[in-house]
Amino acid sequence: MKRALRILCYGLLILSAFAMAFPFIWMLLNSFNSESNIFKSPPSLLPDLLGTSRMWENYATVLREFHFARYSLNSLVISGLSALGQVVTCSLAGFVFALMKFRGKNLIFSAILLTMMVPVQVTIIPEFFVMMKLGWLDSYLPLIVPSVLVGSFGTFMFKEFYENIPPSLADAGIIDGAGPFTMYAKIYLPQSASQAATLFIIAFMNSWNDLLRPMLYISGDKLQTVTMALTQFQSQYSAKWNLLLAGSVLGVLPLLLMYVFLQRYIIESTVSSGIKG
Amino acid sequence: MAKRGLRWYGPLAPWILLAPTLLGLIVFRIVPIGGSLYLSFTDWNLLRNPEFVGLENYKEAFADPAFLQVVENTLFFSLIYVVGVMVLGLALAVLVNRKMRGSNFFRACYYLPVVTSAVAVGIVWSWMLSPRYGAINLLLEALGIKPPYWLGDPAWALPTVAFIQVWKMAGYYMMIFLAGLQDIPLSVKEAAIVDGANPRQTFFRVTLPMLSPTTFFVFTVALIDSFKNFELIYAMTRGGPQNATNTLVYDVYLNAFVHYRMGYSSAVAYILMAIVGFATLLNFYVKKHWVRTQY
Repeated sequence: MKRALRILCYGLLILSAFAMAFPFIWMLLNSFNSESNIFKSPPSLLPDLLGTSRMWENYATVLREFHFARYSLNSLVISGLSALGQVVTCSLAGFVFALMKFRGKNLIFSAILLTMMVPVQVTIIPEFFVMMKLGWLDSYLPLIVPSVLVGSFGTFMFKEFYENIPPSLADAGIIDGAGPFTMYAKIYLPQSASQAATLFIIAFMNSWNDLLRPMLYISGDKLQTVTMALTQFQSQYSAKWNLLLAGSVLGVLPLLLMYVFLQRYIIESTVSSGIKG
Repeated sequence: MAKRGLRWYGPLAPWILLAPTLLGLIVFRIVPIGGSLYLSFTDWNLLRNPEFVGLENYKEAFADPAFLQVVENTLFFSLIYVVGVMVLGLALAVLVNRKMRGSNFFRACYYLPVVTSAVAVGIVWSWMLSPRYGAINLLLEALGIKPPYWLGDPAWALPTVAFIQVWKMAGYYMMIFLAGLQDIPLSVKEAAIVDGANPRQTFFRVTLPMLSPTTFFVFTVALIDSFKNFELIYAMTRGGPQNATNTLVYDVYLNAFVHYRMGYSSAVAYILMAIVGFATLLNFYVKKHWVRTQY
């Protein structure tokens, strides 16, 4: 009986793992198919280019003719700067809310928490108008600045963490004559390396996967992000599945690599964030 | 610290350090939230000045059968999503919670779709569901089942897209359920077994009731999350066929940035906001009264 249950459990585990991983395996396999082979009926399970000298043909086409290298670089710069900026502003704000007293503190903190639930669709039209008036359309700025300046979850996380540091740490700083900025940069920030890493990962992934803002703010080809390029590629070359799938592999690869190396971290951090971006 | 009379910062210091956050809060949150409320009472195409029309946009929305279908689609999507991720998330959590070899590997596997972009997920699934060469259809045909036109059939498109979102996010809810399961003291389960309860009784009479705070928490998080389906719908169906997968988040985009009806679109956004606001209040309430553990 116990043995049967064990086998049943393993069966279910493997079946679920297959259901979760299959689309990714299928995407990878088919990205090595030639255009004629992908539409063969009955389908060949093994892609025809795999192992041949033309193996990387789809990837080469996508990178050379469809500028995916450029798009990946754009995404990397935008997501990296967004995430870095968010770590700085959120740790600063968390530090202020945890250690300083000033008029209006509770009001401002409640406003930060309350506006967290507001869907992006509610703010996007006035935001678009502001970006237009600032002349920021078709630049990296509208993709970076809003996420740098508005980080409710990060502010909350840093505040909680700094509040739980024993006050003796601050006292030692005061005796050494540290001013507010030294206190933040030299004493508190180094304590929160793991919070900073967590926030960096979440912000990076959110920015990388964002579609709405790149769609609205970027119209030229040069500044496109990978995620946005994929949707355009999809509408222009809807029949070239082999190329589209190769592009998709390139589009998810950086995040999958991050996931493989920082797995535990990512799972804990996204779960603790309570709500995905 | 300050309490002991040692001032280590001047009165301006908090404001200087908080300046970027305050700027963001005002420019990208408070002003746009107020701004779009005002816009929802206007007729505006972005080029000329907004013209005040009172409640006209809201009246138009609720009198339009196409919009009512959008609301219905949104709620139907939420229903499938919430039920789907709760059932699947709990089932996966129970499976990986058993002390078995390789359970960490399985956990990682189930979480994989959570970190990938909805756009890539949408593309791969569109390929797998495509009418003639899709893997799913070939499999079903091999089993002698005639597959529907999935994304091309107005009756099937919405449940299909909702199911794919469930597939993508189930691992996330699995992790929350897992934390809840691991909070249940082993002694309680052991006591039930000593009292002669079989595994099924232990699960339904002991584990599930003790898990209820987590379950309520997951419910509210999933409800809020269920409205965020713009990317997947854009990548898979763009609201079609025949408006069948058009949801509130997609309708805002469509009206604002395809039809340039900024005022009407703001009204749609505020209707979405009212629904999300209700879900958020529920979430706060549940967190305060039910959930003992912090996630």
